[in-house]
Amino acid sequence: MTELLQQVVEGLGSGAVYASLALALVLIYRFTGIVNFAQGELAMLSTYVAWQLVASGMPFWLALPVTLAVSFAGGMLVERIVIRPVQGAPELTVVIVTVGLFIFVNALAGLIWSFTVKDFPQPFPDGGLDLAGVRVDWSTLGIIGVVAVVMGLLYLLFQHTPIGLVMRAAACNPASARLSGIRVNRVLMLGWGLAATVGAVSGVLVAPLLFLEPNMMGGVLIYAFAAATLGGFDSPVGAVVGGLFVGVAETLTGAYVDVIGADLKVGVPLVIILAVLLVRPQGLFGRAAVERA
Amino acid sequence: MSEPTTERTEAAEGAEQPDFLKVTDLHAGYGQARVLQGLDFSVARGEVCAILGPNGAGKTTTLRALCGMVRGRGSVTLNGTQLLGRSPEQAARLGVAHVPEGRGTFNDLTVEENLRVGAHLRSRRRAERAAVAADLERIYGYFPKLRQRSRQAAGSLSGGEQQMLAIGRALMLRPSLLLLDEPSLGLAPLVTRELFEIVRAVNEEERTTVVVVEQNAQLALDIAHRAHVLEAGRLALSGPAAQIREDGQVAEVYLGVSVSARKTG
Repeated sequence: MTELLQQVVEGLGSGAVYASLALALVLIYRFTGIVNFAQGELAMLSTYVAWQLVASGMPFWLALPVTLAVSFAGGMLVERIVIRPVQGAPELTVVIVTVGLFIFVNALAGLIWSFTVKDFPQPFPDGGLDLAGVRVDWSTLGIIGVVAVVMGLLYLLFQHTPIGLVMRAAACNPASARLSGIRVNRVLMLGWGLAATVGAVSGVLVAPLLFLEPNMMGGVLIYAFAAATLGGFDSPVGAVVGGLFVGVAETLTGAYVDVIGADLKVGVPLVIILAVLLVRPQGLFGRAAVERA
Repeated sequence: MSEPTTERTEAAEGAEQPDFLKVTDLHAGYGQARVLQGLDFSVARGEVCAILGPNGAGKTTTLRALCGMVRGRGSVTLNGTQLLGRSPEQAARLGVAHVPEGRGTFNDLTVEENLRVGAHLRSRRRAERAAVAADLERIYGYFPKLRQRSRQAAGSLSGGEQQMLAIGRALMLRPSLLLLDEPSLGLAPLVTRELFEIVRAVNEEERTTVVVVEQNAQLALDIAHRAHVLEAGRLALSGPAAQIREDGQVAEVYLGVSVSARKTG
């Protein structure tokens, strides 16, 4: 039992990382209807920014907000320069553009920082808590805590501020939003900025557990896709629940299903994606595309 | 205790402005399809103007050209300001509130949030907050059903309530020009009548200029001061609403409804 709980705790830790990247995916999907395949790469780029700041002597907890601000501006820039020109184009065109962005950002990071791995500093202290035999590392608690704070701030932004209301209106019905005087294009830029910021959090959190290199987020992105699919691509709450579930499912199957083990556990998110699409395509919290006339 | 401060500033102006909205030689369409082929009409300040005509005559396109949803050629001025060539969000900022066909509410948002979105251009200014709160009350006064459902998601409302909400949201803008596109579409006759009575009340109490596009000519003529009948993108008939209504034969030809028969019934 203790052993099982231990695995669940580990799973929640990685699940929180998946949840934040999934949340970034969901944010963009809600605002633009686009599945952004470059989300993980943008997060990786943000992580390099943080690494560069720390490497040049900035304390981590100062480098983090600076990185998030840079990511926010970067996300808005990407929307304006890369996505805006293909606005209204067929879905496949936009998907290809995000895939192109994926390759571009990946290569750009390699060009600037090379493909050799870098050590990312662990921002949380070593050690942890002992809860009835279950060991909870400070880093696990820290990751969950940071992600929880990000979710809380997003909730406050969307539900309790005028700009959040305007953003939700624009996501819900762009045509009517424009008729109410909302500059929808600016809202889309904001949405991309926010998504890039949330994605950056996931990159910075996961980097100490992995090694920092341009392909770092590839695996995480697949887990995030599974999380968003499971929770429902249009549901922020679903992204979080889905992320935690995927994290726990991954560790448990890795630990207890011998056939799968550590090597095959990457297959877990793919099985989840497949199962959800077959059984409940809109995900747990998503809405099927029907509307009352 | 305090003096009544709700006196209408509009009433003080008084002066007629026959060309408050002035449409001159308006051409508009979608891609290759040219729907409007040179439209001229004016709407006086404080007037309700009905645009009637058969399907495909260009009624909806006219409204869309006024609010920037489709591009047009020619000239459309509101109180002297050119509206053509503006985006919908710019038109909204100039006081044009358009209630699109099929309502266009924000279905994920609550009723009250929908109304607040309507006022978002104003609520940014701190001084306007009290005015926005007063406007919420004003809208709930016109539409008591919306007050009961203020915390409910707009998507869960009935068709009639959604239409009321869409109009309420447009009014939160405090528009100088209110455009209504087929407000009766898909609604029960009783609900439609209630809706039109409210539009009439809004027009009388706030002197909001209204342009309403309707298939249901009878209803629209009941609340309109003037009416224009479109046919194939051109003005076929114009005049005071009462006159159009009386002129049964012409109405029958252009509107495809028997107005004279209804009158006797």
